[in-house]
Amino acid sequence: MLGKLIKYDLKSFAKIFILLHAIYLLICFIARFFYMDRLNFENVTEPLVLSLVLFFSLMTLLLSALMIFTWMQVAFRFYRSLFSKEGYLSWTLPVSGPQHLWAKIISGYILMASDIIILAAGILLLVTGDNVTTAYSMIANDLTNELGFSIGTFALILFITCLVSAISSVIMIYFSVVIGQLFPSHRVLGAIAAYFITSTVIQILSVILMVVFRCFPGYETYTLQGSALTDYFLKLIAISTVLMLIITIAQYIATHYIMKRKINLL
Amino acid sequence: MRPILECQRLTKKYGSFFALSNLNVSLDRGQIVGLLGPNGSGKTTLIKLANGLLVPTDGHIMINGLAPGTATKKIVSYLPDRSFFSEHMKVKEILSYYSDFYKNFSTERAIKMLDTLEIDQNTRINALSKGTKEKVQLVLVMSRDADLYILDEPIGGVDPAARDYILQTILTNYNENATVLLSTHLISDIENVLDRVIFLQNGQLVFNETVDEIRTKYGKSVDTLFREVFKC
Amino acid sequence: MPWNLDNDRPIYLQLMERIQHDIISGVYQPGDKLPSVRDLAVEAAVNPNTMQKALSELERCGLVHSQRTSGRFITDDTAMLKEMRTDLAQEHIRDFFKQMRKLGFSDEDTLEMITDTIKKGGLQ
Repeated sequence: MLGKLIKYDLKSFAKIFILLHAIYLLICFIARFFYMDRLNFENVTEPLVLSLVLFFSLMTLLLSALMIFTWMQVAFRFYRSLFSKEGYLSWTLPVSGPQHLWAKIISGYILMASDIIILAAGILLLVTGDNVTTAYSMIANDLTNELGFSIGTFALILFITCLVSAISSVIMIYFSVVIGQLFPSHRVLGAIAAYFITSTVIQILSVILMVVFRCFPGYETYTLQGSALTDYFLKLIAISTVLMLIITIAQYIATHYIMKRKINLL
Repeated sequence: MRPILECQRLTKKYGSFFALSNLNVSLDRGQIVGLLGPNGSGKTTLIKLANGLLVPTDGHIMINGLAPGTATKKIVSYLPDRSFFSEHMKVKEILSYYSDFYKNFSTERAIKMLDTLEIDQNTRINALSKGTKEKVQLVLVMSRDADLYILDEPIGGVDPAARDYILQTILTNYNENATVLLSTHLISDIENVLDRVIFLQNGQLVFNETVDEIRTKYGKSVDTLFREVFKC
Repeated sequence: MPWNLDNDRPIYLQLMERIQHDIISGVYQPGDKLPSVRDLAVEAAVNPNTMQKALSELERCGLVHSQRTSGRFITDDTAMLKEMRTDLAQEHIRDFFKQMRKLGFSDEDTLEMITDTIKKGGLQ
């Protein structure tokens, strides 16, 4: 049953997701061969810098748009298939609430992870031209000294962090939607409120934790260099991972309980 | 044999409003039962409770001796009072959805009925008229070999010809051990196909008698009796 | 085509009358097999259990009999069928005369009018 539920979720995501991400990869491909590969980094001029800034701003915008879109796809699918009129079919299938939840967690995560992987692949495609790598190799040592690890390692850590935190994002979406269901007359509003309240609570908790563990960003952090910066960075990641883990587990338990016992479709 | 549906002191509150209060009723197998009552009498609430779409405030509801859950959903075939399709799906995709999830679903039977109704399986749901959607939904529901069919207003929105076909579908597809519970306020159209009627008012049971008992006792049709009991 | 049924009398009684009428008038021949309960119920657009009850009642009157596996059959007791037909005819005649009396015709007048109507070919 779980497999079938996931199959239908993925089917419902597939068309538009594949279309948008194919367009994204196409853009990256074109940009790589018709823009990036034609740049000359040996002679850095002001127009070159300007065009790079403009190009990467646009790319950032595109990346954010795709991430937000994927996020919305996951949220809407969950809401629509379980709490809109379609819920009348979903909830009368011979499937338990927690099974529905797991199907949605897995399908939602597959979608978010695919999004992250495709976005990363696009970026990789953009910056792996010979001219870029040659130019980078000239400043690689300086940068590694400054950061404490190579840019490759840094990107990898960032990538893995994104993949891991996608689990939390998925569960946080479902948690908010399900909390919204507890307010029968204001479901959507309840969900949005739940999302922002939880986000704020997480922000406050992380600030408190950062202060407690003495890694609140301040004047000192800007002067950190090399291994000191690495340590600071890893500590930050560790703290936020533990915090996310605890919050995600708590949200999962609440969502599981509500979906098992408190569903009232009106 | 155990009753197929049993309510004990069943109560459902929305805020401070009692949609059902202290309802005790049980249905035997092999019957077609009409669930009648004015708007807001608790019909849909009872139906949703039986399908596990609502959780009782108090009391119990049992299907074949079990609280609504995965096991009961296998043997209950439910037609809600609204369209539950995702609009972008095609009719034939919904057929495979049903056969994927319900072991007792007969694709063959569904296709036969769709053909009779001249509904093209390649049509997308959002291209169907409201009445046709209702028909497709009923075809799906009646193509399952269920123990309990729960139909919420199955003849509400369709034309008289389709209404006859739907009643015929109900009569031909249910087997002797199955029970059909259907809610409606178009009583005169379906009175002849019912074994028994349950009247609800303000979330409470008013009548639970067979159609012929009512006719013998009161010398009038269920429809007429209904109009007298619920006169405004 | 659903059968025409009244609203105020028990349904099974009306089904009995209808089937009885079909048997007497020869829609079903003596010794014929009756359609199954379900088919009859679908044809009449009534509840199968009600149809079942009507047939059981007819069985008690001796008009139909069931053979364990092969279904229900019309009685082949033609004498009984004939008697029932006569009974029914007499019932109709009595009703007719009652109606005519209400209109103010004596039984003799009515009879005369009937003969007249037949002679003039008014029934054709």
